[in-house]
Amino acid sequence: MEHKDRIRMNIGPVHPAMHGVLKLILDVEGDTVVKAEPEIGFLHRASEKIAEMRYFSNYYPIMDKLDYVSALNMEILYASTVEKAAGITISERATYMRTIMAEIQRIMSHLIFIGSLGEDFGNLTSFIWALRERELLMTIVEKISGGRLAPMYMCNGGMFYDFPEGIDKDILEALDKIENKVKHEYSAVFTKNQIFLSRTKGIGIMTKDMIKRYGITGPIARASGINRDLRKVSPYLAYDKVDFDVPVEENGDTYSRFIVRLNEILESIKIIRQCLKQLPAGNYKTAVPWIIRIPKKDTFVKQESSRGEMGIFLVTDGSDKPYRLKLRSPTFFAIRALEELLVNVKVADAFVIVASIDPVMGEVDR
Amino acid sequence: MENLSEKLIKEFNGKLDAIKGQNNLNIVALKNKKLIKKLSWEIKNYFDILYTLTVVDYSPVFELNYVFSNYENDDILIVKVNLDEKDLSIDSITDIFDSANWEEREAYDLFGIKFNGHPDLRRILLPEDWPGHPLRKSFEINDEVRHWTGLDLKF
Repeated sequence: MEHKDRIRMNIGPVHPAMHGVLKLILDVEGDTVVKAEPEIGFLHRASEKIAEMRYFSNYYPIMDKLDYVSALNMEILYASTVEKAAGITISERATYMRTIMAEIQRIMSHLIFIGSLGEDFGNLTSFIWALRERELLMTIVEKISGGRLAPMYMCNGGMFYDFPEGIDKDILEALDKIENKVKHEYSAVFTKNQIFLSRTKGIGIMTKDMIKRYGITGPIARASGINRDLRKVSPYLAYDKVDFDVPVEENGDTYSRFIVRLNEILESIKIIRQCLKQLPAGNYKTAVPWIIRIPKKDTFVKQESSRGEMGIFLVTDGSDKPYRLKLRSPTFFAIRALEELLVNVKVADAFVIVASIDPVMGEVDR
Repeated sequence: MENLSEKLIKEFNGKLDAIKGQNNLNIVALKNKKLIKKLSWEIKNYFDILYTLTVVDYSPVFELNYVFSNYENDDILIVKVNLDEKDLSIDSITDIFDSANWEEREAYDLFGIKFNGHPDLRRILLPEDWPGHPLRKSFEINDEVRHWTGLDLKF
């Protein structure tokens, strides 16, 4: 090696500070990273191959385990794809119910992000606070679907069950609590905390050009000044019937990525409240046979998941199983940016930057 | 969008075909795989990123679906290229669309398609000594694969 004081560090795939099973190969000189190489694939479970062996209705449990922090978003995306390919229309009530579930899941996912970001520089309070708020919604998801992490709630044509009696009161109560905490209490550990500010402001800056070069979408792109949210650009479900803003920040540093997601929680709360008010009566499910056959065609559907734009490219050939199912995952593109993002930062900051990407390896490795 | 695919088809006279929109997708089929780089430079004027690259195994033909997208609106363009089983190689478009880098590595990993001129064509999801390319329809899930431990991997 040319430089005598250069050391190669292998961090992960199993490391307490790493998110999931991401592996980073860092070349460090002293305390500064000079070269970074992310390595993925340690959680590869052949989801795309499994899809070719299962009926369309039997793939939902696998979608749950892709992005296991926002499982409902994944289920809704898959349901939308199959319904678009097969020409199934769902009732208006079902679209509203799906919007509510998607936004509940988005809040839960962003709370996990907020907690783990704080925890990565030793602020354990933030993690426990965020998980305390998440538990309120977890309980609601459990009441509605029976599951917590992998709810298995969606099916072709709608949902498996209707909302239980009086759940809207529970949801509104939980949302009030979360809104109160996020608006008034979180400033103590985040936005007014000097340690948090000095560890996140100006760290890991992503420029607009970099975002476009790597093809990054979602909250990370919005933190760098790119105003693009599929819920606004091409509204699906009931997003065109509710009023909400898309939070955009200009700086592109770790702090911006945090603020964007914090504000998105508040926007999601707004969306759920409006949806509950407008929730129409009717069928929660269109009757669809368990085994369906879809004629030969290509279908491409993309939706805004908690981490960016998730897409499915579905190729069908007239049989009762997909011929090919390709998952376009947003973090797969974002992780690659680490090789540029981590250069010339301190090793301690590298972990904060990785946390600010909010990777869930289940979705990256598929 | 309609205009773009028409314009492209006119420019590549005879080499590019329109495919009637299924589900309102904009799909064009490229007949000669050697023109993929030229077409990509044209597309670069309208689209920012390679959104995803899907390979479909219709043995003996492999179909590549390049999905392009941009940040301004909702438009997507799908370019289909057919590769023959005997010559599974195509020019890499990483120098035009940088976001294609890992997508092409994934296509190489799971289907064994060679991208000429790719800066770092290694396996990405599977270990380096994995036998075969698992997303091909001919890939057999046998005991060797099922109980694979990876002990031969050199660190």
